[in-house]
Amino acid sequence: MFYTIGQRKKWQRILYLILPVLSVALVILAYALVQMRLPALLPDAGELWDRFLRTFTNPIKEAGLPGHIWASLRRVLIALLFAWTLGISFGVLIGWNRTCKALFGSIFELFRPIPPIAWIPIIIMWFGIGEFPKVLIVFIGSFIPVVINTEAGIRMVEKEYIDVGRVFGAKRSQLLREFVVPTALPSIFAGVRTSVSCAWTVVLAAEMLGADHGVGALVTRGWNAGDMALVFVSIICIGIIGAILAFVLNKLEKVVCPWNN
Amino acid sequence: MEQLTSGLVVEHVTKTFFNSGGYFTAVEDVSFSLNDGEFLVILGPGRCGKTVLLNMIAGIEEKTGGSIRYNGQEKTGAHPDFGMVFQSLALMPFKTVMENVELPLKLRGVPKGERRETARHYIELVGLTGFEKSYPHELSGGMKQRVGIARAYAANPKVLIMDEPFGQLDAQTRYSMQNEILRIWEAERRTVIFVTNNIEEAVYLGDRIILLSDCPATVKETYPIGLPRPRDMVSREFLGIRTRISDNTDLAI
Repeated sequence: MFYTIGQRKKWQRILYLILPVLSVALVILAYALVQMRLPALLPDAGELWDRFLRTFTNPIKEAGLPGHIWASLRRVLIALLFAWTLGISFGVLIGWNRTCKALFGSIFELFRPIPPIAWIPIIIMWFGIGEFPKVLIVFIGSFIPVVINTEAGIRMVEKEYIDVGRVFGAKRSQLLREFVVPTALPSIFAGVRTSVSCAWTVVLAAEMLGADHGVGALVTRGWNAGDMALVFVSIICIGIIGAILAFVLNKLEKVVCPWNN
Repeated sequence: MEQLTSGLVVEHVTKTFFNSGGYFTAVEDVSFSLNDGEFLVILGPGRCGKTVLLNMIAGIEEKTGGSIRYNGQEKTGAHPDFGMVFQSLALMPFKTVMENVELPLKLRGVPKGERRETARHYIELVGLTGFEKSYPHELSGGMKQRVGIARAYAANPKVLIMDEPFGQLDAQTRYSMQNEILRIWEAERRTVIFVTNNIEEAVYLGDRIILLSDCPATVKETYPIGLPRPRDMVSREFLGIRTRISDNTDLAI
């Protein structure tokens, strides 16, 4: 079978438009089929919709669904702000300066494999279940991927770029600013992207273990009350917000790294 | 004929690389001096030595023997009088054409308005006006090489070093870039050291050709090329010089 290039492109474009819709539709269909067979395990669409509406009319702990989403997002955003600033600085430091790598590298390697969720009991013991410990747990989870990717990006810088800098008389600080950090930017951004998904995962885990507000708290509440519909509404929210965050980051990357297409 | 020296004197320069498996000499006992305003071509077969030699002159590679003097002083490290066009282009993918060209000036702390103006002049000189805001990946191979040339000129060097700048271009683009580089050289009158492995290109461009041997690179012979420009690549004189050099060249594998 032969296609001219134009035909194939058009055909492909339609396919790439249809496939995502199709796959989501299939998941919904599968859900509906299982739900019909095993109504005890899964709430039906009507129940889900009612439960969704009731999160607005009957606030849980004085907060509607948007209030809980905001509680989670706020923790994530505060933690990410610190994780990005400190993580990028630390990554640049150990990627660029050998002494710093020797000094801090092994400590970081020790902390790195510990899953952020493992810190939860320690941090709750030390700081209780207020706002700060949750933000701290999210920070730990999102700091690590930023550091790893930043360091890798800094190390990937080609010798040639450094040669260009040296031929044109760049000082060491200029090498870092004009050549090394921009080269590492796509990699740094990959770390930022990973940190966002990590943060979103960790905040929910932290909230599930002890919080009044937040989407994770809703999941736990639904679970404890045998309110399956609430659990599902919360999970769907988690998925949708995670996807929106990923989408926003993709757009942001095009702004921050316009050369990297 | 007495000629003004550009101030660069290369004497008995040698570069040996040492590693765990032993050593390897890339450049051995190379000497020459550079005349003011000349277009010097360093011609050598294939693999080794040429880039290393240039990098030593540019000051980004340490030599292991001999001396490189500039204006009577031993030259160590980079020098603002030297600019370089790199074999692999080495444009910053994250900078636009304008930002790439003005980079050497930025590194020297030239204020933005002034460096923009200088960069614009050289972008125009290499024929890229209108592409100031493009990123390198949006340009063709020949255009990218023009950016590299404009960047080197923007640094306002007295000596411009070009390391096989047209090696990655297709034949057609290569011919037009050769004419382009002569045009720019005649307009700006800098001293040029141009490295190539292409005999025809060497004879077409050079005032003088230094022929290097294959590994290690040593000076085999120096050919002054007296042909008037523009040169005719199929004239008898041109082909004669070309044959003489080619008979004397080590086979590159």
